[in-house]
Amino acid sequence: MSELIQIGAARPKAPQPQDLTLRWSERAVEELEALKGHYPDLKSLILPALWISQREYGGHLPPEGIAEVAARLQRTYAEIEGVATFYSMYNTAHAPGRHMIEVCTCLSCHMCGAYRLADILEEKLGVKMGETTEDGVFTLHEVECLDACDRAPVIQVGPDYLDPQATLQDEGGEAKMRAWVDRLIDDLRSRPEPSSVRLADTVVQVHVRATER
Amino acid sequence: MAAVANVPLVKVSINDVEIEVPKGELIVESVKRLGLEIPIFCYHPRMKPVGMCRMCLVEVGFKQQDGSVRKMPKPQAGCTLPASEGMVVYTDTEPIHADRRGVLEFLLINHPLDCPICDRGGECPLQNNTMAYGPSTSRFIELKRHLPKAFPLSTYVTLDLERCIQCGRCVRFTEEISGDHDLAFRFRGADMQPSTFQLTDFESKFSGNVIEICPVGALTSAKYRFRARPWDLETTPSVCTVCSNGCNVWFDHRAGKFVRINGRANEAVNEEWTCDKGKFGHEHYNAADRPTQPLVRQGDGFAPTSWSGAYDPVLAAFAEGGDRVAALVGPRVSNEALFLLRRLFERAFKSARVSSNWRRTPGSGSVQGTIADVESGGPVLVFGTSLADDLPIVHLRLRKGATNAGARVVNAFSRPTEVDRFAAVSLHYRPGSELALARGLHGLLAGTGATAEAVEAETGVPADRLREAVEVLKEGGTALSSQGLYDLSDGPQIVEALAGIARATGGRSECWATGANEQGAIELGLAGEGATATLQACAEGRVKALWLVAADPFALHPDRALVERALETVEFLVVQSPVGSEALAYASVVLPTALPAEQDGTYTNCERRVQRVQPAVPPPGDGKPDWRVFSECLLRALPETPLFNPREVMEAIAAEVPAFAGCRYEALGPEGTVLGGNLLDTPDEPAMVGGQA
Repeated sequence: MSELIQIGAARPKAPQPQDLTLRWSERAVEELEALKGHYPDLKSLILPALWISQREYGGHLPPEGIAEVAARLQRTYAEIEGVATFYSMYNTAHAPGRHMIEVCTCLSCHMCGAYRLADILEEKLGVKMGETTEDGVFTLHEVECLDACDRAPVIQVGPDYLDPQATLQDEGGEAKMRAWVDRLIDDLRSRPEPSSVRLADTVVQVHVRATER
Repeated sequence: MAAVANVPLVKVSINDVEIEVPKGELIVESVKRLGLEIPIFCYHPRMKPVGMCRMCLVEVGFKQQDGSVRKMPKPQAGCTLPASEGMVVYTDTEPIHADRRGVLEFLLINHPLDCPICDRGGECPLQNNTMAYGPSTSRFIELKRHLPKAFPLSTYVTLDLERCIQCGRCVRFTEEISGDHDLAFRFRGADMQPSTFQLTDFESKFSGNVIEICPVGALTSAKYRFRARPWDLETTPSVCTVCSNGCNVWFDHRAGKFVRINGRANEAVNEEWTCDKGKFGHEHYNAADRPTQPLVRQGDGFAPTSWSGAYDPVLAAFAEGGDRVAALVGPRVSNEALFLLRRLFERAFKSARVSSNWRRTPGSGSVQGTIADVESGGPVLVFGTSLADDLPIVHLRLRKGATNAGARVVNAFSRPTEVDRFAAVSLHYRPGSELALARGLHGLLAGTGATAEAVEAETGVPADRLREAVEVLKEGGTALSSQGLYDLSDGPQIVEALAGIARATGGRSECWATGANEQGAIELGLAGEGATATLQACAEGRVKALWLVAADPFALHPDRALVERALETVEFLVVQSPVGSEALAYASVVLPTALPAEQDGTYTNCERRVQRVQPAVPPPGDGKPDWRVFSECLLRALPETPLFNPREVMEAIAAEVPAFAGCRYEALGPEGTVLGGNLLDTPDEPAMVGGQA
């Protein structure tokens, strides 16, 4: 919205549904067809379809990915975009790195040193919260409660919950955290598969029945 | 709204006054029965309540056995609260005043309070409610959020995000009323913004309405922007004459100049909506090239003259002309002017060559029901018309019927249209195969041995779809089309086939006019031989004098070469026009006239509803109303008392034209009157259709 604004200037038109390039794989289309039987109407399918689209578009939901969902569900673009931009787990704003590290900073994790852990991650990766490393491997995010207080401080990478098994209050806790973060970064670097795609796929598989996979 | 006969009444007490209201009526509506008002932002009577703004909070309680009232511990939103037996409501207590102050304080945190430079200032619900219920000073000393201002969402609608209070009225309008769902809330929390997908063009054909229903200055009109302040405007109730729906509008003007159009409630026609063509299609009132005085040809140019100086050569050229003089009338001429024109040609010029029909083939359509009947819920076949373009308000009604009353719609058109979004079956035929499809559907419905496969071969519509369409239509299916069908070479046969479909299903057959007074001209018997025949007669020299009444043949007739030949060949050409047009260059005499909202007259809309338009602004210069021009010509040409005001003209129409029997200005209610039935029933009493809104 930052471009030069001119009153009365015509806005670009949204593409016609028939002009879209549909990029979903055959498997995704089959999953969508299977899901159609789970709900009374296509409107109810918006959330699972957006997860499929996020997986198909590489862990990111660009405008094209939203438009494809709209075209496949016969809804309007604006309606689907409104839903997609409401939920923070759909990555509509920008493409995340290969691994999105989400640090929980809610109460229990905070008590156990989540911000110290976050500082260590920022220091080791050389980026701030919400940023992606230059090589495009890591994106760091601060998130609200991950519902794993027993493992505090906890982080989420794709569908996996990970924790340093040490709190700030432990003897040598910070050193343990540092060592763990080093191991974590090395481990993630060696994994070529994007974790955000893995997360999206996990969610889709929760929706699709075993018989439909 | 919910006052339907079979809804039980319940007793509620509002501010200690007991009244009976229909069970389930929303409290925000019930209080209006006592003349009270609850302040609202997000609530709109024609859309589903959402309770987003919290402005309508009321205290609610129930009477206890000992007679005391036990209030609920927290205030309730009046817009989502249905009335039930024994409910006690307080709208004007100290806690409610505090709640309203609190809600407004929250709303104003993110509102820029730039009322002095806001188009809405002066007619803004937020401004009004803040003045009436809000805190007098702000406690907010922090920085306000800053967002783009004056963002052009489309050519017509400008979005100012800072002013938005996120009530969702615009989003709900596109979802519930216009059905295009072009707007949605993007993002969440304080970042939430109503906008289109990726800020692309807001393409809805009804986008102008969101400007009117926005309770703040977030959505403003790009055309009206900074042109006036509301308190400088005068407004006149009027009727839109852009198309045949006859929407009721407020014609806002300032210092005698048109400024803007707003929707005016008429439950029988447009409810309160307008289409973009109507709302933004009145700019020609202020066009610079409008003729302002009578002109007569002088060599290559024109010499200005007086009206009598213009009448003399006109009457000399047309007098006793018989078949050799003709008139062509545009689609936006009032009933009164049409009637006097016909009288002038019949009595003074002895000519029957007055024609208002610009279609390719002759035909008078068919009107059996009303606009409101379209939403009744019966199955409907929309045939050969893009309803949102040709009959926009009928489109909204049909959509309402489909979504609220469960009407099943079959849409037949050569390309996708807006109707497809809610149609049960869409039939996209090959252009040119309209007649084959209409006859095929008729055959399938009447069971005359036609097969869907044969129709598929002719029209390209899959046989399965045809069978689905027949399934939908066979019980009482109404055939709805526009007289645009007569622009096809086989138009009359298509309309005949559609009438056959309606006969076979037991539904109505509607083929509605699209010009503002096209239907009126048909009722007055002015359809005539058709413009094509008249222009051909001109081109071949069989007509020596032609009178164009508010008609630009270059815009109205598809055959440009024929129009040029006709206008060049004809010896004497009168161009009576309210606006500049290409035909002026060929004129012998130019008579400047008034546009619809500049003169008194009535218009017959597509459902044969006669509605009166009163002059809102004066015509520029020496311009005269069309009917007065003909009346003055009659005065000069014939030794009889002419009709000197439109009221008398309407009485003469009622006396002479059977369709208008009983039609008098006094009999036209606030919603206009449909020709036929109720006028004839009560010839001496003022007939009111639908009564008060």
